[in-house]
Amino acid sequence: MISEKLRKVILAELELDDWDLQDDTTAGMVPGWDSLSHVRIISAVEDAFGVRFKTAEIVRLQSLGELQALVERKTA
Amino acid sequence: MSPHDIDSNGLVWDCWRRHAEQDPEREAIVHVSVDRPARRWCWGPLMQAASRYAEWLDGRGVRPGEVCALIVRHHEDFYPLYMGVSALGALPAVLAYPNPRLHPDKFRQGLEGMARRSGLDHVLTERGLSEVVAPLAAGAGSTIRDILFPLDELPAGGPAGGGVRAHAPASPDEPCLLQHSSGTTGLQKPVMLSHRAVLEHARRYGDAIGLAGSDRVATWLPLYHDMGLIAAFYLPLVCGVPIVQLSPLEWVSAPVMLLRAISEERATLSWLPNFAYNLLADRVRDEDLLGLRLDSLRMLVNCSEPVRAESHDRFFRRYAPLGLRREALGACYAMAETTFAVTQTPPGEEARRVFVDRAELARGRVAPSAGESARACVSSGRPIDGCALRVVDEGRRDLPEGSVGELAIASVSLFDGYRNYPEKTAEVRADGWYYSGDLGFVHEGEWYVVGRQKDLVIVAGNNVFPEDVEDALGRVPGVIPGRVVAFGLDDARNGTEVLAVVAETEAAPGPEQRALRVAVLQAGMAMDATIARVYLAPPRWLIKSSSGKLARAANAERAARELGFK
Repeated sequence: MISEKLRKVILAELELDDWDLQDDTTAGMVPGWDSLSHVRIISAVEDAFGVRFKTAEIVRLQSLGELQALVERKTA
Repeated sequence: MSPHDIDSNGLVWDCWRRHAEQDPEREAIVHVSVDRPARRWCWGPLMQAASRYAEWLDGRGVRPGEVCALIVRHHEDFYPLYMGVSALGALPAVLAYPNPRLHPDKFRQGLEGMARRSGLDHVLTERGLSEVVAPLAAGAGSTIRDILFPLDELPAGGPAGGGVRAHAPASPDEPCLLQHSSGTTGLQKPVMLSHRAVLEHARRYGDAIGLAGSDRVATWLPLYHDMGLIAAFYLPLVCGVPIVQLSPLEWVSAPVMLLRAISEERATLSWLPNFAYNLLADRVRDEDLLGLRLDSLRMLVNCSEPVRAESHDRFFRRYAPLGLRREALGACYAMAETTFAVTQTPPGEEARRVFVDRAELARGRVAPSAGESARACVSSGRPIDGCALRVVDEGRRDLPEGSVGELAIASVSLFDGYRNYPEKTAEVRADGWYYSGDLGFVHEGEWYVVGRQKDLVIVAGNNVFPEDVEDALGRVPGVIPGRVVAFGLDDARNGTEVLAVVAETEAAPGPEQRALRVAVLQAGMAMDATIARVYLAPPRWLIKSSSGKLARAANAERAARELGFK
């Protein structure tokens, strides 16, 4: 499940009031999440959780659930 | 091989075969993925593998002149497969593949449109994608006869060795590939190019950039766009120059990968759309740059969006400490309809700039100015050999020097027309000239592209047609049909444009309008267009022109003035 904190970081970065974000949500299903904003969103998540992702970790992400799992691994 | 040695009376396959015969151990393609070692294809094994794929396809009934659509992810065997199609005299066409950042509806519309209109005969894809691809490719009205899985059935590294086959008999004037123009519309226009057009272009453009055996191209560009396919694939391979190919999807997640590839592989050339300069300047961490050097680069070519002086400056400030040379900042003007390049800045010279008065420019006149409000326009260089340009008015009459107008192009490598779209071909081609729809001017022999005659919005290198967005939003329940305008806004921070819309509605402010706003954003996403600004206007807010049509420019001005859209 997507944590409230991760949800807030993503929505704030995309300037969205609300959006349904689930484990199987992919970037193309969220307004504004495109090639230009992707790196910005990932940086915002890193800053918010005080973590650094490796290039290979970022590149492999396919869905929001995987991003959530990566954040949990890094903060564990 | 130097570009001068290209025989434009030959076939593309024969150029490749010569590299395999003369220098089989020479590197041709370095396929880079983030989580595994690079796959290094040398010419000998590459052409042997291509021949094996040709054999396999031949056995499955692929015949000369038939179109094979390739829907394949970043895969080390993509290259021999593509080349194998070519060996048969069939026409390869690279299509985008489904991925997490492409909305499923956009993929569906694109493939369904092409399956009906582009004259595709076969789809070559991976089993892993077949669940998504197969129902679309085989839908009603499709010309596609079968779906094949060569990468699964003849996997990488199959039996080594074997010979390199001869190309099926063909004339240089026969088509050798098909590519699609980019755009929001489901009906992307297919462009056919002959062997002669591709080889003439490689010879002349290669010469214009001084392409030599010591060069090495680094690229993340997708091969379903002309810049990736022609500049960063055909041009180097025809000339025997090695390519270092990254995955476009991996690159947008981690832009530093391109810099790493340039540094590690000592790349000398790369083609980039303007937004990439900003992304690389602003979105790479210092710690990721440790140990990287960019002094091998002799030219970065800015192409496919209007070139911005500020983007070059930011990029240079960030990367000069890594050895980037100012004179490496080049630019080019290109399009699929002319195979690729029309103009190019000379190697070893930074793209020139001219400062012009903004207000005069908006009135269609070029007035050099030193004032504070002057706009820095960046040159895209001079015509390459075999190309000529004119600046024309709306009646396609020549305008005097110092005027801004539509750019018309004549080229030895002009396309043969959009396949199955004679009406679209007739709109843009007349008397040997291609009317580009781009606005520009010539100043002291250099060509400058400053915008579009039509209201096309270019968002990060992708063409967005406002009429497509307006049509789609007009169908959203709650939006008054026919009462929507879409237009571009400058996005200096990202070095590109963003899309804005104003839609009239009778929905009440509060929850009803919030729900409508979401529906509007979703309709944009379904065509892969990010709508950055939405204004839900009361009825009769939008301005109509004298002909009764909604006037985009006037409404964009009103939105800037009253809503602060800019």
